[in-house]
Amino acid sequence: MLDGNYRLAAAIFIGIFCGFLLVKSDLAWRKTCLNMFLLKDGRLLKTLLFSLGFGVALIYLLQHLELITVHVRPGYFWASLIGGTISGLGLAFCFRVPITSIAALGAGRLYAFWSIIGMFLAIYFVDVISSMLSSSIYSWSKPINAPQQADAFLSASNPALWVVLLSLIALVFLHFAFNDEAEE
Amino acid sequence: MKALTGKWSFYLNGGLLSVMIALCLYLFQDTVGMNDGMIKISEYAEQTAEQVSDNEDIELPPLQWQTGFLGGIFIGALAASIMSGNWKIRFFQDKESGIISKSLKTVLYGLGGGFLVMLGLQLSGDSFLGQWSGALQLSGGSWIFLVSCFAVASGIAIMMENRGESGGE
Repeated sequence: MLDGNYRLAAAIFIGIFCGFLLVKSDLAWRKTCLNMFLLKDGRLLKTLLFSLGFGVALIYLLQHLELITVHVRPGYFWASLIGGTISGLGLAFCFRVPITSIAALGAGRLYAFWSIIGMFLAIYFVDVISSMLSSSIYSWSKPINAPQQADAFLSASNPALWVVLLSLIALVFLHFAFNDEAEE
Repeated sequence: MKALTGKWSFYLNGGLLSVMIALCLYLFQDTVGMNDGMIKISEYAEQTAEQVSDNEDIELPPLQWQTGFLGGIFIGALAASIMSGNWKIRFFQDKESGIISKSLKTVLYGLGGGFLVMLGLQLSGDSFLGQWSGALQLSGGSWIFLVSCFAVASGIAIMMENRGESGGE
């Protein structure tokens, strides 16, 4: 939709909003992410679950109104599974993903800089081994089919409806299971 | 004013996160994420290293929409943390005593963790925000990535907590 400088300006404004949101939602802090993975703090889990439930319904509606189209990078079963496992292993050590590392650095947590250096090293490493990856994990399985949209939202065969319902059920469970405390 | 200085409820945070992703899909016709921005910076660093070794003039970093998004996150986090009084300079991730021990832990956990996180993201083909965007669009690959990532991270964090190694901020 947007091109050139308009695209750049929009990206900067959305980036500022995203950074603001990461701090306000506590996603930028290591301690709150640690507590989420330890299943001690339900606030971040509730934020992510609500985003999932609300977002799936919103995206379905916008696609139905033809305001947006599906934009998903091609996924491979083994690449996604191995990638998720390795990322999970890394998350258990640093509790930061790229956007939260930048946000933590902006909030003065200078130790996040080490994570950013590690991330750049990984990009270089993948660049070096890219030919080996093409002939291994990307060739073990065919690309996963692009998601198909169901005709009616309130249909039992619509996966979006199930995601929304399960997210709501999980939210109600978390509401009663966790005693939320403000962490920083 | 309290909205700018205080914490936001999880309904608001979750809702705004989804609206932001939908807005990006509408405006950019792409999954928004840091992957492309960091790859562009990595390419710039490689190009700059070659220019330095060849004694050529160093060019300015590319200001494209992906790197603009990255810079915006930094500015937004800086502004939000100053407004809410959370802006603090921290050199170490743990508060434990012993400068050598906490320095080593900060560097090793940061470098190693960051390396593994980005390696996994690169293998799966998108950034974390991109994977979240994919999950909202019901992409099978994104769901496999997110479920395996959260399960492994939670399992290892609990295991390390039981051994007393995870530490605090």
